[in-house]
Amino acid sequence: MTAHDSSAGSFDAAPPEVPQSASNIELRLQEMVLDSRDVVGFLTDLAVVSSSRLSSPDNRIHTGVTVIRRKRAEAVASSDAAAHALDELQNGFGDGPCLTALRAGKTVLVSDLATERRWAPYLKVAREHGVSSILAVPLDLAGEAEAVLNLYSGRSNGFSEDDVSTVEAFASQAASSVRLVLRITQLSEARSDLASAMQSRTIIDMAVGAIMAENRCSRDTAFQILTRASNTRNIKLRDVAASVIRSISGEQQIVTYFDE
Amino acid sequence: MYTDGGEGSEQPNRAAEERRGTAERFRNTDLPLAKLWTYYYGLGGGIDEMSLDAYLHEALDIPASQVALIATAITELTEDDLP
Repeated sequence: MTAHDSSAGSFDAAPPEVPQSASNIELRLQEMVLDSRDVVGFLTDLAVVSSSRLSSPDNRIHTGVTVIRRKRAEAVASSDAAAHALDELQNGFGDGPCLTALRAGKTVLVSDLATERRWAPYLKVAREHGVSSILAVPLDLAGEAEAVLNLYSGRSNGFSEDDVSTVEAFASQAASSVRLVLRITQLSEARSDLASAMQSRTIIDMAVGAIMAENRCSRDTAFQILTRASNTRNIKLRDVAASVIRSISGEQQIVTYFDE
Repeated sequence: MYTDGGEGSEQPNRAAEERRGTAERFRNTDLPLAKLWTYYYGLGGGIDEMSLDAYLHEALDIPASQVALIATAITELTEDDLP
């Protein structure tokens, strides 16, 4: 919501980025991948770029991204609050052009909400929000996830044929960037999971050893004691272990040195 | 997770039931295997990821103590998911 927030006048005088060629977009996407901190941040950038590419002074486009996560549709990113609200609304209804595009894996264009017969309950509310046309283009993420770009315009026939093919081309380029971001996030998540596993394993192993010494029991029995305490008190195993160590040595912080 | 009922009397049955129950619970979540294994390893788990996979598909028997740790891992990971 940065670039296109500038006044229409200056927008007119100097278009922010004159028609970008495909390779320009590619470069921009690459930079976005490198700059992204997480998937949501990246998708937000994506929504902003798509809005600013298609918006004109008299036809502002709002873009949202809906992702299927844990079998539920979630509005994860948007160019602005209006798009986010519309996405949420549609997910609330459980049906609409964007969800249809997502499920079918095909572009859906609603040129004029007033004459569209499908998705009546949602479109009625969307019209009350000032939306007149909707374009939904799914991102093909090769089965790694499912996502759809939702574009909203306040004008009927707000998307020309050219616009549709521009968005489709953009979506197919963006899809591989999204896959890349997903991979990167998954890897760094796996790494931090592993680091925290190392930490907790040290604490738990120490506590198990302590219980073995105290009760003169086997490792399995010590684990059982620890697990039972964790279950009955509904406290995480690692926290129970930490409290065992604390009660013996008073140590508050057990640190595992873990380096890549 | 086993309810803390009697101590020991029906051990073998309970162990077998827990074994199946845990594998089934895993299938009802959408936890990625790697995530479960990492967490289970962090609890002190002793079997490798491939054996864990085999166990979860009921293709491998593992010691009851490991089953208990896997059950704990699933519980703690799914608790994390709640908002």
